[in-house]
Amino acid sequence: MTFRVLNRLITGAAMVLLTAHLLVYVAYAINLMQFPFDYDQGEGFELVDTIMFSQGQFPYRNTDEYPFYSSNYPPLFHVIAAPFVWIFGNAYWYGRLLGFLGTLVTATAIGLAVYREGKRRDIAILAGLAFLASNTVYHIGPLFRQHMTMVLFETLAVVILAQVNEIEDTRRRRRTLAIGLGMIIAAGYTKQLAIMTAVGVFAFLFIRQPRRAVIWGGIFAFVGGAIFLWMNWATDGEWWRQAIRANVGSINFDQTMGLFRLWFGLHGFLIVPAALLVIYELYFARLSIYALWFLASLLQGALSGTWGGGDSYWATSIAALCILSGIFAARTVNRAWTFPDNYLSRFFVFPLRRIAPVLGTAGLIAIPLLYVGYARAALKMPTEGAVFTTIADVFDIQPNALNGFYDSAGRIAGGYADIGHFTSQADIDAGWRIVEMVRANERPTLSEEAAFNLLAGRDVITNPTQLLNLSLNGVYNSTELVRMIDAQEFGLVILRAQFYPIDVLQAIQRNYIQTETIAMNGFDYLILSPRGG
Amino acid sequence: MLSNDFTFSKRLLGVLLLLVGVIGFIGIFAVDVIDVGREGGIGPAQRIALGVCAALALLGLTLIPLGKAKA
Repeated sequence: MTFRVLNRLITGAAMVLLTAHLLVYVAYAINLMQFPFDYDQGEGFELVDTIMFSQGQFPYRNTDEYPFYSSNYPPLFHVIAAPFVWIFGNAYWYGRLLGFLGTLVTATAIGLAVYREGKRRDIAILAGLAFLASNTVYHIGPLFRQHMTMVLFETLAVVILAQVNEIEDTRRRRRTLAIGLGMIIAAGYTKQLAIMTAVGVFAFLFIRQPRRAVIWGGIFAFVGGAIFLWMNWATDGEWWRQAIRANVGSINFDQTMGLFRLWFGLHGFLIVPAALLVIYELYFARLSIYALWFLASLLQGALSGTWGGGDSYWATSIAALCILSGIFAARTVNRAWTFPDNYLSRFFVFPLRRIAPVLGTAGLIAIPLLYVGYARAALKMPTEGAVFTTIADVFDIQPNALNGFYDSAGRIAGGYADIGHFTSQADIDAGWRIVEMVRANERPTLSEEAAFNLLAGRDVITNPTQLLNLSLNGVYNSTELVRMIDAQEFGLVILRAQFYPIDVLQAIQRNYIQTETIAMNGFDYLILSPRGG
Repeated sequence: MLSNDFTFSKRLLGVLLLLVGVIGFIGIFAVDVIDVGREGGIGPAQRIALGVCAALALLGLTLIPLGKAKA
């Protein structure tokens, strides 16, 4: 058997494993689209934002007054989803579908980037599948959350701009720059974290041609700044308070380090080749946009220790490392590495020339093995259900997370989203039971999740995490909300994670008593009624 | 630098990284010197920032010998 044949066999095995990951991902996405309630806390508030945009309103409101609601996210994802509200009404599935489709487009863009550099279809496909197989991408991809749409715009921007400096036709180059930088503005107005991608992209443009970077940086700042000022004017300054000031927070280093270790543990098989390519470009070639994007995305990951941050903050770096490792893989399999004569190549590389054929052959085997190893490291799947029970039994996979789910990430790092499991009919029944409770009560309900009020046709009151954000930054006045709680103006209070500011929780404790606990989706929903009936 | 043909060399990038690293390193220490009333000495964030600055300076130094090669 030749090494080429062995390469094809192992590549085929990697393809099978990563395709299996994709099938689990698709099944998970379909399962979530059928679930009519919040799966990840916060989804409901993104739906509320979408509904408000569909009605031509901004969700950046004065949280000191009833209904004490505001959003802390930029608008683009919700604006994109708004037409679905006109057609389908208030529902979660279309936001989840958009998020899911966005990850498929991102994976395709990653594959195209790898193919463009290496002309290897098999490795391009593996790189795209590797992105979708990531534990982080898996569990946040099909949510009604804006994060992965930001990653989509970031990835498209970087792939579009990767070869912009080589375009000789001026009009075409300018058009490419305008589209690429427009994508970064879109990413930034989807989620603020995209600023790190802007840093990486402008570092690339500046290193390649400072003049072009300065001119286009000015245009970029003008357009981005004009949108910012218009939104702040249109919301009487609430855009600044709700989306910028409320998001300032200190970093919990233990959480950052825990998530960093988790990120490395899960993606290490691809991080190492990605890092090697960055080092190669630094010393033996030109720095690519992918390398600088990857480095900038690590800063985004460093912010994962903030309150509200989590493993999703590493998603951009996962897209970048899938591209870099794919390029590394293609170059190795193609035996296309070249080293210019410099002090490092003379010391480290040229002495190895005699064994270059052996190294090249080893690369043929090692590269697909990296993807096989990654597929094993990123393993996650339900351990219950028709097909999954059989697979779990055969491979002795025991559940280690909620609702009969195995996740190789474990649940060891703070900030790692405790989701990924499938929902059941019992979860849906439990959700409707809570909705019926809200409907049966004549007074308004203070619910920590938006779904119950939305589906009962009642006002959505408060966005607890946003109130906590504001409170932690000293820009929230809880007087009116606490007064309403003290007056027992709410017929029911529904709590899950108890993310309200402390004084609001204390007021609830003083005036309401827990009457029931309803288990749904692996979590306990506490139903509280006014003390004294 | 603002001409149409200008591009960064490895040497210039190295010098830039070296300067950023050294100035950043001094600046982080200066936080404690200027803010003398502050308690607790060098915190974890400062330690990480010092490490990053030192790494940048070292990286810059290793790039400088690569001369005019394009960065």
